[in-house]
Amino acid sequence: MRKILEDRIYSLSVLLIVIVVVAGLVYPDTFLTADNFRQLLLNLSIDAIVAVGMMILLIAGVFDLSVGSILAFAGCFTAHLMFFYEVPVFWAVGAGLAASGLLGCLNGYLIAYKGINAMIQTLAMMGIARGLALMVSGAAIQNLPYWFGAIGQSKLLGVQMPVWYMLLIVGVFTFLMSKTVFFRRYYYIGSNEVAAALSGIRVKRMKMIAFIISALLAGIAGVLLTSRLGAALPTMGRGLELRVITAVILGGASLSGGVGRIPGALLGALFMGIAANIMVIARVSGYWQDIIVGIILILTLWTDQSLKKNYE
Amino acid sequence: MELLEIHHLSKSFPGVKALDDVSLAVRSGEVHALCGENGAGKSTLMHILSGNLNPETGKIVFDGKELRLKGPLDAFRSGISIVHQHLSLTDTLSVAENIFANRQPVTRWGLIDFERLYRESSVLLERLQIDVDPKARVGALSAGQKQMIEIAKALAREPKLLILDEPTASVTDKEVTILFRIIRQLTTEGVSVIYISHRLNEIFEIADTITVLRDGVLQGTWPARDLTRDSLIRLMVGRNLQLQEFASHRGEEVLLEARNLSNGYIPALNLKLHKGEILGMAGLVGAGRTEIARLLFGADPPQQGELLLDQQPVEVTHPENAILNGIFYLPEDRKTQSLFPHLSIEETLFSARLTGKAMTGKVKRFRENAAAFVKKLRVATPDTAKKVAQLSGGNQQKVFLAKLLLGEPKVLIADEPTHGIDIGAKHDVYNLLRQLAAEGRGIILISSELPELLILCDRILVIRDKKIAGSLLRNEASEARILELAMGSN
Repeated sequence: MRKILEDRIYSLSVLLIVIVVVAGLVYPDTFLTADNFRQLLLNLSIDAIVAVGMMILLIAGVFDLSVGSILAFAGCFTAHLMFFYEVPVFWAVGAGLAASGLLGCLNGYLIAYKGINAMIQTLAMMGIARGLALMVSGAAIQNLPYWFGAIGQSKLLGVQMPVWYMLLIVGVFTFLMSKTVFFRRYYYIGSNEVAAALSGIRVKRMKMIAFIISALLAGIAGVLLTSRLGAALPTMGRGLELRVITAVILGGASLSGGVGRIPGALLGALFMGIAANIMVIARVSGYWQDIIVGIILILTLWTDQSLKKNYE
Repeated sequence: MELLEIHHLSKSFPGVKALDDVSLAVRSGEVHALCGENGAGKSTLMHILSGNLNPETGKIVFDGKELRLKGPLDAFRSGISIVHQHLSLTDTLSVAENIFANRQPVTRWGLIDFERLYRESSVLLERLQIDVDPKARVGALSAGQKQMIEIAKALAREPKLLILDEPTASVTDKEVTILFRIIRQLTTEGVSVIYISHRLNEIFEIADTITVLRDGVLQGTWPARDLTRDSLIRLMVGRNLQLQEFASHRGEEVLLEARNLSNGYIPALNLKLHKGEILGMAGLVGAGRTEIARLLFGADPPQQGELLLDQQPVEVTHPENAILNGIFYLPEDRKTQSLFPHLSIEETLFSARLTGKAMTGKVKRFRENAAAFVKKLRVATPDTAKKVAQLSGGNQQKVFLAKLLLGEPKVLIADEPTHGIDIGAKHDVYNLLRQLAAEGRGIILISSELPELLILCDRILVIRDKKIAGSLLRNEASEARILELAMGSN
């Protein structure tokens, strides 16, 4: 029992199954349908992709508040290039991702090498990237090329592409973070930065890379969202950072670093997505939805703390 | 008269019986030393007396009344003050505010009365002959001074019982003298002191009575004059300790050589380390020994000069380069520089694979090697999935050593490797260092314990003021000679 409670992947999976079963019994016609699940997965795919990057950062003991703004900027910049300069889809997407990576690099450089606090730096970047997004898109950019729309709107085996991208990204990073020396280093860095440096890890460089990865994933999410919407809106991804951090913490990460696993990011996003979906079906008012998510987060951390106390 | 009586106290944690039916009595005005290896139950007992833990069974009588503590505040109110091994000071506040933390004197308007705060602190510091300005920021003080402030803080509550847990771990000899004077003064005022230390010399110098614990079980209480150093060690360890006879393995070949190596901390370092040599580094706290180690290891990379390994110049601009070249460093402070608090023994050992030679090769082979090292170093745990943070200090240090050895070091720089670990583990570390030297590796041993340097080293460098003040061969070295060089007095 104790083991199940302590391993977040287990406990969250069990909780999810219970919720799905109960909701399925209560709303068999609306909740437990293939259509609803397809929609649900599509909705959470953007959050889950960003959550993977956030999980890596939290494992390394840092976090990034600018992911929502970087998402918007990447989407708007890509659209800007295609609409105003008729850049081919492939190169526009590449440039959009490169630009988001550059912002992540800037975050990482200033935090890791110049010692600026991660919260302050990414808070500043949150404003800067949002401003850049507005600058390149104005109110919105519509009428994007057909092939760009295909990125996020086509289907494979009856499931929309963003869901496949999400699964691919989660799969790849689960493998990397558990099996490769390079990515395992993040656990050591998050657990004790000084000891990690004295073990020969180039902590600063690794941290900068984590910010670049996180920003790149936010950029990918931005391109997918823009493609799906068929329009680039500068307001995309507003409030995303808090939603994603909540999901990742639910998924087993800790703000003090050193713990967490990539599948936890997916499960956390899944939990938030299913909870939101059920509340919509149950016609819970929008205000209550936020309140309930907040309460869930507090309850999770509370359980964690009391488990820890018992142990000590 | 008995001030404190402990009757049949027991306490268990998951998997361990930390205290098993322990009884002891402390008379007023005596210095009562509590001895035992790490994990013997001393800390648990102290945590119970300071109200941080509740015993399962047993009774504590203090000053004629049965004591039931609900928290640290209760302990203070009953007249028990404890000075923990890990300091409880706030670096950003003044000395006076630290001494009177959470009970600052107030004016009749309920605001902090700073004038009285500083005055009362001065009086107390003067009484203890601690030469520190009460308005000074604690962060600006030396480790030794902080320790004295911590003791002043405990005494400001005017306790009847003062508990000192490893109070001399980070202070200089001069400060130890001051501390002992304070303790003697307190005992004449009728205050009892429970004194915990790994330094046996200090125990025999200051204690009236000695109680020994081993694995949570009381071994007995004796007047200090009835015990000898050897009999005490036997009681603590439960086995006879044997140290291999000294035999020099120093070869002719120079393994590591620094030529005018310098960075912002160390000016022009010149030294040679031979194959199979154990080279000691002595010096006062703050003399620059750790800075030299960090220079050689690339943690504070050199800006000028040359470093040669096997007569070949090497660039060591980051610990990664050092490790790739076979130079390894065991840091001074286990908790902040070696320990990964979330990680298990196995995962900690795996950090040896994060960079350097061990990075390649089969994981299975590495696992077997790791398990073999854990066994060979006698880490007292059967289970490598256990978190390192849950081990005792000595066992933690063995894990960190095992991690370095998995990287096949040519040069091992060990910075205070036996600091705060128990005597059994110490002997294991000594034997290990000798064995490494016998295998032809070079070892730089930084230590503040002179007897340790004298039994282990082929040569001892004495560091003063960031420079090598002298180099003593084994047969020239003595405690007096080292101290003379370290202090620079002629």
